Amino acid sequence: MPVTVNILFFAQARELAGKSEAEFTIETPIAYSDLVKRIVDEFSLTELQDHLILALNSDWVWDQEILNLKPADEIAVIPPLSGG
Amino acid sequence: MSVSEDTQQLLTEIKRLREELAIKEKHLHDLQTEPCNCKYLENNDFTTDEIIRYSRQMIMPQVQIDGQARLKRGKILIIGAGGLGCPAALYLTSAGVGEITLVDYDEVELSNLHRQILHSENDINIPKVQSASDKLKNINNNVRVIPLKVHADSNTLSRIIQDDKYDVVLDCSDNVATRYLVNDVCVMNDIPLVSGSALQMEGQLTVYHHNSGPCYRCLFPVPPPPHTVTNCGDGGVLGPIPGVIGVLQALEALKILVQLPDVLSGRLLLFDGSTTTFRNIKLRPRNEKCEVCGVNPTITKLIDYEQFCGASAHDKVVNIDIITFAEQTDVKDFPQDLQNNIVIDVRPELEYKMCSLPGTFNFPYSLIIKDCDKVRKFVESKVQDGVTDIYFLCRRGNDSQRAMLYMKENINFEAVQYHNIKGGLHAYSKYIDPSFPVY
Ligand SMILES: [Zn+2]
Repeated sequence: MPVTVNILFFAQARELAGKSEAEFTIETPIAYSDLVKRIVDEFSLTELQDHLILALNSDWVWDQEILNLKPADEIAVIPPLSGG
Repeated sequence: MSVSEDTQQLLTEIKRLREELAIKEKHLHDLQTEPCNCKYLENNDFTTDEIIRYSRQMIMPQVQIDGQARLKRGKILIIGAGGLGCPAALYLTSAGVGEITLVDYDEVELSNLHRQILHSENDINIPKVQSASDKLKNINNNVRVIPLKVHADSNTLSRIIQDDKYDVVLDCSDNVATRYLVNDVCVMNDIPLVSGSALQMEGQLTVYHHNSGPCYRCLFPVPPPPHTVTNCGDGGVLGPIPGVIGVLQALEALKILVQLPDVLSGRLLLFDGSTTTFRNIKLRPRNEKCEVCGVNPTITKLIDYEQFCGASAHDKVVNIDIITFAEQTDVKDFPQDLQNNIVIDVRPELEYKMCSLPGTFNFPYSLIIKDCDKVRKFVESKVQDGVTDIYFLCRRGNDSQRAMLYMKENINFEAVQYHNIKGGLHAYSKYIDPSFPVY
């Protein structure tokens, strides 16, 4: 069943996606690896795919997890910042 | 910029006066901090002046005299005396931490001053750690501030850590390699690490290796490819962003020293200055399979972090050389005749608008490689006008080489010779006209 969630982009992901947030319709339940793949493909983040944290409603998402997404869930895409 | 004789004389005199001042201040400090046997104080840890100075935090139930005593016994190591390190060190010094060691190899530059708030105009070209420790000593002479002008690498950092027992380390560095290095050092020596970072309008903050929380490698086992990493020199940063994060680094360090609960461990704070929002992300616990903090670590001594990250441990740009010698033009041979020669400046439009050489044309590199039709049409029309030589120019002479290579491969005209202005606008400012701003 597809749901529409909000994706939030931070740091380099924001730069590559060209926006700070987006609505995204996706199948649920979905495995972590499929979710990452769908997001990086859709928002041109391929080069960051092994270098980011995903958070669902501000909670760390485990790489083995199967996620049950609900409408309006927030998924944050967080690569590390290194400047200072 | 050339320094006139008067300026030179003044600089020398100011330097001498500073040294004289430092000697007198040290003398005064020694006199003021002689052990007191004040009959009104329960223990002799503090002088009357110290009690007055710290009273506003000591009367808080969270701190009290015991908390202040812990601060006074505390030793903190700060890696980086820049946008994060300055505000962090400022608050830690003011709060009365016993000893603060600053590590930074750089000298103060004019382009640092909008965010690195301990440095002033008079400090240009002085080591940052020197400039910072001078200011800090003025603010609180009770604190032992140790400036170390060294480049933080595996050798220097393991020596620094061995020489002293630090209670907390602050990562206020500006590059990925140093972040992995500082993380591994802290895990191996079992020291909590308060890690801050900032770029453009965003900041991140967390505490690694504290209360069985994760380390940097638990979250990011693999360093990002170097070309995806933007530094402040290229991406820019608004001063208050590292200001906010640096101040919060000081807060977390104080909480750790005083032994307050709810330190930002196992959580990541995201600060978005563009919307002024803070967000707390719950992180994973320590990864038992982590290469450095896991149950069976495979990294048990420091490695070569520049090699590991494929990037240098500083935020300076490394110059590339990807075109032939004949295609390189020394900036001293910068074309005078801009009728028969064309100069294409490939910097981003907003940088071109900030400062540019008259008579040049702006075609940003990012746009050339995205859609080269516009630049092709432009070059075509110029060729019809009889132009035979096209020069590429950028900030440092790297992107201009990339643009030139791309043009050679995709838009080649028999009648046209492509050239690269070696060293870019930095070289122009250095050898032709210093009034062109180096940024
Ligand atoms: Zn770890």
